[in-house]
This record gives sequence, structure tokens and C-alpha cells, in this order.
Amino acid sequence: MNKFGSTRRGFLKAMGQVSLGMLVNGSIVMRTLAQTKDPMMQHDYTGWENFHREQWSWDKKTRGTHLVNCTGSCPHFVYTKNGVVMREEQSKDMPKLNGVPEYNPRGCNKGECATDYIYSSHRIKYPLIRVGERGEGKWRRVSWDEALEYVANGIVDTLKNDASDCISVYTPVPAVSPVSFAAGHRFASFIGGHTHTFFDWYADHPTGQTQTQGFQGDTCETADWYNGRTILMWGANSAQTRIPDAHFLQEAVLNGSKMYVISPDFNSTATKADVFVPIKPGTDAALALGMVNVIVKEKLYEEHHLKEQTDLPFLIRTDTKMYLREADMVKGGSKEKFYTWDTKTKKPVLMKGSWGEEPEMKAKIQPPFMGRNTLTFPDGYLELGDLDPALEGTFKVKLADGEKIKVQPVFEAYKPKLNEYTPEKVSKITGVAPSVIIQMARDFAMNKPSMIIMGAGTNHWYWSDTTMRTFLLLCAMTGNEGYNGTGVNHYVGQWKPTPLPGVGKLSFPLGANKHRFCQTTIWTYYHGNVYDAMENENIDTAKYLRESLKSGQMPLFPENGRDPKVFICYRSNWLNNAKGLDYVLRNLWPKLNLTVNLNIRMDSTALYSDVVLPSAHWYEKTDLSMNEEHTFIHMTEPAIAPLWESKTDWEIFALLSKKMGEVAKKKGYTKYFDEKFNIERDLTKLYDQQIDGGKLATDEQACQFVLDNAPQTHGITLEMIRKEGPQRFKSNWSSPMKEGVPYTPFQHFIQKKKPWPTLTGREQFYIDHPTFFDLGVEFPVYKTPVNADQYPLRFSTPHNRHSVQSNWKDNILTLRLQRGGPMCEISPVDAKARGIKDNDWIEVWNDHGKTMVRCKIRNGMQAGMVSMHHEPELYMGKFGGENTQNPLPIRINPTSLVGNYAHLKFRANYYGPGGVQRDTRVEIRRYTGSVTAGLTAAATQNEKDISHV
Amino acid sequence: MSKKMITTPKRQLTFIVDLNKCIGCQTCTVACKKLWSTAPGQDFMYWRNVETTPGLGYPKNWQSKGGGYKNGMLQTDGHYPTLDEYGVPFKYDFAARLFEGKKGSVKPSPEPRWAPNWDEDQGVGEYPNNIFQYLPRMCNHCENPACLEACPNDAIYKRAEDGLNIVNLEKCKGAQECIKACPYGKVYFNETDQKANKCIGCFPRIEKGVAPACVAQCVGRAMHVGFIDDVESSVYKLANVWKVAIPMHPEFGTKPNVLYIPPFVGPAMQDENGNMMMTQKMPLDVLQGLFGPEVGGVLAVLKAERAKKIAGQGSKLMDTMIGELSDSMMISPMT
Repeated sequence: MNKFGSTRRGFLKAMGQVSLGMLVNGSIVMRTLAQTKDPMMQHDYTGWENFHREQWSWDKKTRGTHLVNCTGSCPHFVYTKNGVVMREEQSKDMPKLNGVPEYNPRGCNKGECATDYIYSSHRIKYPLIRVGERGEGKWRRVSWDEALEYVANGIVDTLKNDASDCISVYTPVPAVSPVSFAAGHRFASFIGGHTHTFFDWYADHPTGQTQTQGFQGDTCETADWYNGRTILMWGANSAQTRIPDAHFLQEAVLNGSKMYVISPDFNSTATKADVFVPIKPGTDAALALGMVNVIVKEKLYEEHHLKEQTDLPFLIRTDTKMYLREADMVKGGSKEKFYTWDTKTKKPVLMKGSWGEEPEMKAKIQPPFMGRNTLTFPDGYLELGDLDPALEGTFKVKLADGEKIKVQPVFEAYKPKLNEYTPEKVSKITGVAPSVIIQMARDFAMNKPSMIIMGAGTNHWYWSDTTMRTFLLLCAMTGNEGYNGTGVNHYVGQWKPTPLPGVGKLSFPLGANKHRFCQTTIWTYYHGNVYDAMENENIDTAKYLRESLKSGQMPLFPENGRDPKVFICYRSNWLNNAKGLDYVLRNLWPKLNLTVNLNIRMDSTALYSDVVLPSAHWYEKTDLSMNEEHTFIHMTEPAIAPLWESKTDWEIFALLSKKMGEVAKKKGYTKYFDEKFNIERDLTKLYDQQIDGGKLATDEQACQFVLDNAPQTHGITLEMIRKEGPQRFKSNWSSPMKEGVPYTPFQHFIQKKKPWPTLTGREQFYIDHPTFFDLGVEFPVYKTPVNADQYPLRFSTPHNRHSVQSNWKDNILTLRLQRGGPMCEISPVDAKARGIKDNDWIEVWNDHGKTMVRCKIRNGMQAGMVSMHHEPELYMGKFGGENTQNPLPIRINPTSLVGNYAHLKFRANYYGPGGVQRDTRVEIRRYTGSVTAGLTAAATQNEKDISHV
Repeated sequence: MSKKMITTPKRQLTFIVDLNKCIGCQTCTVACKKLWSTAPGQDFMYWRNVETTPGLGYPKNWQSKGGGYKNGMLQTDGHYPTLDEYGVPFKYDFAARLFEGKKGSVKPSPEPRWAPNWDEDQGVGEYPNNIFQYLPRMCNHCENPACLEACPNDAIYKRAEDGLNIVNLEKCKGAQECIKACPYGKVYFNETDQKANKCIGCFPRIEKGVAPACVAQCVGRAMHVGFIDDVESSVYKLANVWKVAIPMHPEFGTKPNVLYIPPFVGPAMQDENGNMMMTQKMPLDVLQGLFGPEVGGVLAVLKAERAKKIAGQGSKLMDTMIGELSDSMMISPMT
């Protein structure tokens, strides 16, 4: 050790006891594996400079990535020296696509310090059982055997005394670590418990896309951003929240593309824009419709595209407002076949490809074709041929019963509404100047290809589904879809596990139809008895929810009015991110007899759990990683063995399965009959099932199983990824994969002209469902954001650059690059009006809850709104027990409860109620030492109003 | 002029920061920190940092700290930044709250009053015409290194092979004159081992043909690095052919080898009705304050070249800045 060895001291400290064993064994090898080329000259390797050379050295280099829900999926190398993980660096070996800048280096400020979580002081080292109150932080260290027995006892007792659907496993986002994800789902599948949806619950699901395109979602990979000539960043702040992809935008701008940033605050991305469009929060649909208005008035739309690809030429009855169906016109006709008006023959003609039609060979319903799979229709099926559908006009038809009625194409019926959105009127709603609206519309229609990149800023609202429909309309009108550089591209959540068949087979071994999928938003709203104040908007949520549950359109678990009993959570900080947090802590959490958490670190959910099991860090196990932002699959592998007593999630659930068998025998309760699925379940066989008789005993085997069982990855091996780096998918969801070409979705429909997987077989902008009529959203229209909370300031909870949800909110390095704790950003105007100074403690509250944080005054904030970065740990606010989620209620838009309308039906993470964050309103004030009284009392009183639905 | 003979390096490594591409993500800050400055006494120092400008920066008010050269004379009365101006590195006691049942919440200690990125995204001006911009900073590995000249112990030297300015930790006696002399506030004093610490240009990586961490790991792809005598390098093209990369605060007189491409993309000012005006939000005088009078001409070149791209013509300058291949922006990024 030399005299500058201060690093070495920190190093030894960090090594802890695990590595000391290695020291004793004398296995210190200081060997630099860096490239040995020496381009300049021979250096003097004997002098003092070696001190620094040794700092950049390692004896082991492994593949690694960060298994968090950030959409990054960034391949890294991890550098280990003497058994201590020193650091990580982007691997920079993602293959380059043609004509676009490369993906490398891919990895952000969080990724480059992910090592910290291995050695942090809140790493969970041993199995722990709670001895104090939940959340108190008092534990008893126990052996694995004791911990697993405790958990297995709780589960078996619940199976025996209650029902299997009182047990749930919450673990989200398969794309970030499919094997870990599958471990718990597989366990739940075999015991008959339920798992939870997450894509919808997080408000990440693009509901409007499912409504319009019949898809769970699909989007272009981000390299394709570079191909957009007009780019609208709409509620997306890529410079902060899509850091590894942001460069494509700056590069596109240098390449001559025109970038608009539409945002209520002047954000980091906006500093790079050609035009910053300062919009009033939540008015995005009005702006989009203002653009459509200009496009219609100036006839900038692509008529043929609309006639072929959309429902705009489909006929609607003027009397009932319903689509004109074959059943109306022909006795015994289908209710799922529809007409257009042929301008040549002047007759109604059936449109091909709608729901009532099946191809000769029916395709399997499978993700992402969860409503309808149209891929076996022949190419060119949507081609119009001699048909020339009318977009405008009113026509008379004779129904089967002889009645004569008037019909109109959807476009004709929609036009009076579109005509209302003049740039002047839209300007009043949005605050955007008419000149900007007109220019943006013209650019979007003429400076092509044009794309919209949308993020949580437009996806987290009550009416975000309707807003997204207006975005899709904008693209359809201008033909900006299905080609490189176009489309509404949605990136909220790491939601695209491209090889889903493989993930599904590992996760739901009995088949998806023999697995209980619980809709998490409904589960939380119901069991948490959450008050949504929607009577202030004249919307009776309970009425719609009751109807939806009763008719089985949406599921609720446990069934038959039972309470949930056992909650096993991992790879998620569920409690910390629960909307309606006060209600959840007060009403839902106490219903749970047993809360189990598997975790790397003591996050808030772990802290409030009964049993905490130490889980392996991302650099201590093998798993896969992928996302929607690129088309490559890659892996993480152990740089070191799991530290302390931690184990991989796959191993933990295998051991739990084994213990279940033992406990079941001890209790004399080994078998039960699951009536719902007609399955005899035998707990003594659970372990064998979980590891498939040894074929899935290890994490590696499970990884390879995923790769082997999906057409998208068939032929790729772990060894290939390890040696050659990230591998490109062989096929994809809605477009073919072409070598070297960035993936962009929906080419199967737009280029190959197969029917869309919707009721009409088209991109469907008109939804003739009673709920949509009730709410006035049968057409894509602008709906005023919800103002149910009668408080003055809009409460926005965006992500920021320093964290991934709660991850890294507890990282010292990133906290030091901020202000050390949770903050709420406010405009100078709102601060001044309330006598608040920069860095003051402030209270942020409404009827649902309150949080206390530091305030940051930011010039880029619009007056009338405040922003608090989403989800700090519950133990990091002013007093603890509070974060962004306290003032957020759960609000269920009734449109998302529809499950009886062709492509709109419940499928896990495909369609169902989402989170609604951005409509919340709050007040803030400087914290002066006394806590505002009576805030929670108000909420408790209102709570009774919704009682149980 | 300099009293000391400063080695004329055989080759000079040059860094270029493209402010049109920097997104302020702090990846370089973290990459540098994790690689070089995690030892005791180094908590407060960020050899590489990214700050928001206009702003007070890191250390606070560094732009007026003094040092450098005036009329060719070394300024020895520069300000010695205090720990408060760097930001006292706060700590957290997670273990007590989470494992030992201590009541309350986990809060930083001491109470934060300033930090290296304290005024992040704040900037100046009124919404929607407010402005801010990111400014990555590191040791400039100057041609006239004030730190080197100020050192009474000859502990700072310019490497012959790459022109990087390094503190020889064996020779450093902790005189701290370099800290006062550097007008950019980029030399730090490690109280623990009583040595001056600063950016070493990742020379161990350079020796192996690998780009420095802040360049190779820049996820915004905003950094270029290369030997300025290499006519194929992007740094040569940007600095010497197109002349769009210029030093920050040239008036400090140290002749930096870290250069900046000034921000020329960005939105326009808006009138009271929200109509876009012809003037850009980022005022010229702010950029002149950072990069000197030359900046206007540089912006004109950049705008003209982008106009070609908008018109569907080619621009080699824009292509160099886009850098389709990372290899074209740096010596190898691969480790």
C-alpha cells in the first residue's frame, strides 16, 4: 500500500467480511484487463503515476444491467477487484442501426452508481421478522429456515381458513428481469393465489391506444426519433426521464429536424427545442384538436389513408348514434360488421375486416393481441379496390324492418365538433397563441415524417385516454403512422417484454386462463375504501364500478366479499407508490395478516412489512433485460456471489415452495380443490412444479427457457449474449424486424393492410358504447381536467433525472447532487403570494392527505401548478410517513371499466382502470412549526360516502 | 509572462463539450466521481461537475473567484473557496431509522444550505421567457496553467505525452497556492491527506487508448476528445477547421484545452400573446459573458450550417457534431 492509499482504506472498509476471506486466501491479483494498445508512446510505468493506474484496474469484468422500471435497459460491464465490485460502465457494444446515431453509450447517472446499492447501509443482509409496529424499523434477525417457515405457515393457514385468492403476489414489469418476475407469478399460479396488474395501475398504459388501435401498446424504438422531421415532445421530458435516448433528439435537431416541446413548464428538453409551447396543464387534447381543425380547414389531410385505415368513413345512424350494423340492414346479420357509403354505386357497402369476420385460419389470442389477433388475415385485406368510401355527406338507408333512416360517415358526424376547435378558441383554453397552433399543424402535416413522443405528462390524467385518441387522430389525418419517423410514440414505463410468449410460459405455467389476474387499481380503491371526490364532477364512480364488477367486465379479488390476507411484494415499492396512500395505510394495509417483502434495500414497503427477505443485487444474479426503447435483449450476471445471506428471487420462491410442502404436511393440509379452475392442488408437489422437476432449478435455466420459448428470441442463447453482447429481436409485435432498420410499429396494418385488432378492424375513433356516450367521449374531444379537489394549485408529480421512482431517492451521491431530500417546485409568483422563500419547509395538502417537504422556486414553473418529484421514501419527508402519494386519491375513469365492447375487455395490463395523478389539486403554505389540524378528519368523514360498491 | 518553464507537450489532448447536446444529466459527474474521488477527504470534490448557468455554480461564485492571468501576470490573490461554497457533503443515518427503530425520518446532516448542483434548472428570467443552460466543467488542462505556475513545490506538471496537467501527489506539500490560482475553481484540497487533488484527464485510460470516463460515458454524446494535431479527429475539425469550439472565459488567460461549442439551438422569445419572436431566448450577452466576443461569429457559422440541413442539404459540421459513430468523436470508447 502506498502513501496515497486513501482509496484503499475506503476500499477495505467497503469490502466487508465477505472479501476478507479472499484476502486470506491470497487471491489478490492486480491485473488490468484494459486494451493493451499504446497509441502514443511507452509510458513510465514505474513512477508515482501507477497510483492512479491502479485505481482504474480490475480482475474481473462481467455483464450487468439495472433491473429497475426506468425504460433504460442499458447494457453495462461491471468491474470487480478482489471480490469487491468497484464500478460499472456502459458496455457500448449495442449494434448500430443504419443512418442513425448509435445507441452507445447507454446508461445514465443512476446506472453509473448502481454499485452503491450493493454496499449501502440500508442493504438487507439477513432475513428479518418484525418485532415492533409495521413501519417502526424494529426487527429480529432470523435464519432462512425460520423466515420461510413463518411465511409458509401464513400462506397455508390462509389457504385452509380463507381462500387461495386472499393471497397475492405483487411484482411488476417483466421486461426488466423476466426471471425474477416469473418466480412469484409462477408461485401464485401453482397455489391459486392472484397476481396484480401494474401497467394500468402506474398510469403507464396508453389506454387511448387500446381504444383506438386494439393494442396494449406499441411504439418505435428511440433510434427512429432521429428520422422524424417534425417532432412534438408532448408531455415528455426526455432530457430528464429518458436520459439514454435523449441524444437522438438533439442529434435530429442538428440534422435539421424541427422540435416542438409542449409542456406546462420550461423544462430541460425545452431548452433544446425550436419552439417551446407553454401549455396550460391538462389541455393537451384541445391543442391537438386545434391542429386537426387547421388540417381539416386547409385540407392537409390524407384522404386515402383515412378511408382505408380508419373508421372515419364508417356509417353512423343519426337516430341512435350507433354504427350502422349488418344486423340493422339484414335479418340475422352480424352486429360486428359495418358499412360505408360507396360514392360510386351510391350504396351502403360492408367494410372488410371487422370483428364479425374471421380469417380462414384463426390466430391465437396472445400478447399483445389480447382482444383480437388479425395477423392471419391475408396481406392487402384492407385495400379499397374499386370502393370509394364517402367521408362526408348524409345518406338514406332502408333497414331490414323497412324503416328508412339517415346515416352519416363518422367524419361527417365528427366535423361539427372539430369545427368548434378553432385556433382562437383553443388558444383561450390552452394559452397557446393561434399563430403557434397553425404553424405546428402545418409543420406536422407537411414537414414529414412527423411524430409525437408522449410521456407521463399527458398520460397521467383522468382524460388521458381521450387525449391520446386526439394524438392518434392527428397522426392518422396526416398519414404519419406506420413508417419510420412517424407515429404516436409512447414511453411511460418499461412495458415491452417483447418475447412475451416465453415470459408468459414461465410465469403462468398452467396457462393464462388458469391464473387469477387482479386489477390493482380496483383492488386498491375497493379494499382501501378510497374517496375520490368525483361527485364534484357529477360522476358516480361507484355506480359504474358496481356495474362493471357485477357483470364480470372487471375482476375483483378476493371474490365473495372476502378481505385480502397475504401480500407478497418484491421488485416494487408498492406501498410507497400507492395512490390514496393515507387510505391504503388506514384501511387496506391493516386487512393484511401477513406482508412479505423480498428486497435488496430497506425501502418503505419493506419497512412496513412483517417479513423481509434479503434479495440479490442486480450484479449478483443472472437475468435478462429489454424494453420498448430499443430492440435488443441482454443480460446481467453475477459479478460476485449474493452478499451476506441474500439469494436470488428465483431461488427464494423455490425454497418457499419446498417449505410450503413441509409445512402443509405438518399441518395435515396438503391438498385442496380449486373450483374456479377445476384443479386439484397438491402442496407437496409445489417445489417440483416450481422448478419443473429440476429443469428450471437455476436462474440461468429460467433465462434460457424464456429465450427458447418465444419466436422473438428463439435461437439466442445466454452464452451468445455474454460473448457477443446485446442481441436483436428476431421478430416483433406489430411490424416486421428489418436488418439495420429502426423498428416502428403497425406496419402489419398500414403497409401490409391487415385489419386492425379493433371492433371495426380500423383505427377506431368512434366508440358507440353507452359509457362513452354518458361521458360525452364517443368522439375524441377535449375534456376539462378534473377539478374535484377544491384547492387552488394543480399538483404534478413527474419523474426527474436523479431517481427512478423511489430508487436512488435514497442514494447519497444523487442526493448530494440535489438538495438532500424531497422537494416541491413552485413558481416565483405562487411563492411570493404565500410568503414562501427558496428552500423553506412547506406543507402540501388537500382533503386526501398532506406531505411536508422543502420548496424549490423555479423560474420555469407556470403559476398555478406545483411539481413534486414522484415518490420519495416514506421515511424521508419532514416527519416521515408521507410522500407525493398522500394528496393523490385514486380516480377511476368509467371508460376504463368497460369490458363488454369487442376489443375493450379486461386482460391483465391490456385494458383496465389506471392511475390518475395529474388532476389533483392542492394548497401549499410555509411550515411554521405547527401541523395543520383537521386535514385527515375531513377525508375520513367523506370516506363513508363511498362505502362498499 | 510565466516565470516557470512549462513543458511544451509533444501532443496535446483536447476536450470539446457540445452545449447543444448536453442535457445536464450528471452522468459524467457520477462516472468521474465513482472512478476517481471516493476516498476520505474527497466527498466534497467533483473533478467533473455540471452546473446550471446563469447560476452561482460550483464552487459558489467561482466565476469571480480570481486567479489566472491579467496582462500576462499570474494573479496570486485568488479566493480560496470555503467548504460552504463547495457545499458541505451531507450524510444520512439510514441504519438507525430502518434497522434500529429510531423514530422520525432520515434527514441529511448537517442541514443542506448549498450543494454542487443546488441551483439546478433555476436560471433567470420570467416564465415563459426564462432561460437556463447546462455547463459541464472540469480541469481545462491549460496551456498556461496558473496552478502549475503558482505551485511553490513544483508538484504540478504537464505530461509530455498528452499535455495533461497533473498534481504529483508525492511532491505536493499542501501549499494550496494552486487552489487560489486556478480561476475555474478546479483544484481541490484534500484535508485528509493534505494534498491538492484535481482531474487527471483519465491519463491511465488515455495511455490504453480509451477515452476519459466523462467522454466515453457521456450518454448525451456531447463530448469529443482527441489529440489536436490529429487532423482526422473531431476536435481538430471543430476547433481548427470550423472554429466553432472556443474556450470558456478566455479572459482568464490560461488558454484552456477544454473547449465549448456554444448553444445555438433553443426556442425563441415569446411576446405577451404567445407569438414567437425572432430573437432567441438565450441572450447573446449571457453567452458573451461566458465565451467572450468571439461567440457571435461562432453562432452564425453553426446556424448557417444547420440551415443547410433544414433545407435538405448536407453539412459536414453538423455531421461531425451528430457523430453517428462514437469512434468518430473520441479515441476508442471501449473498455
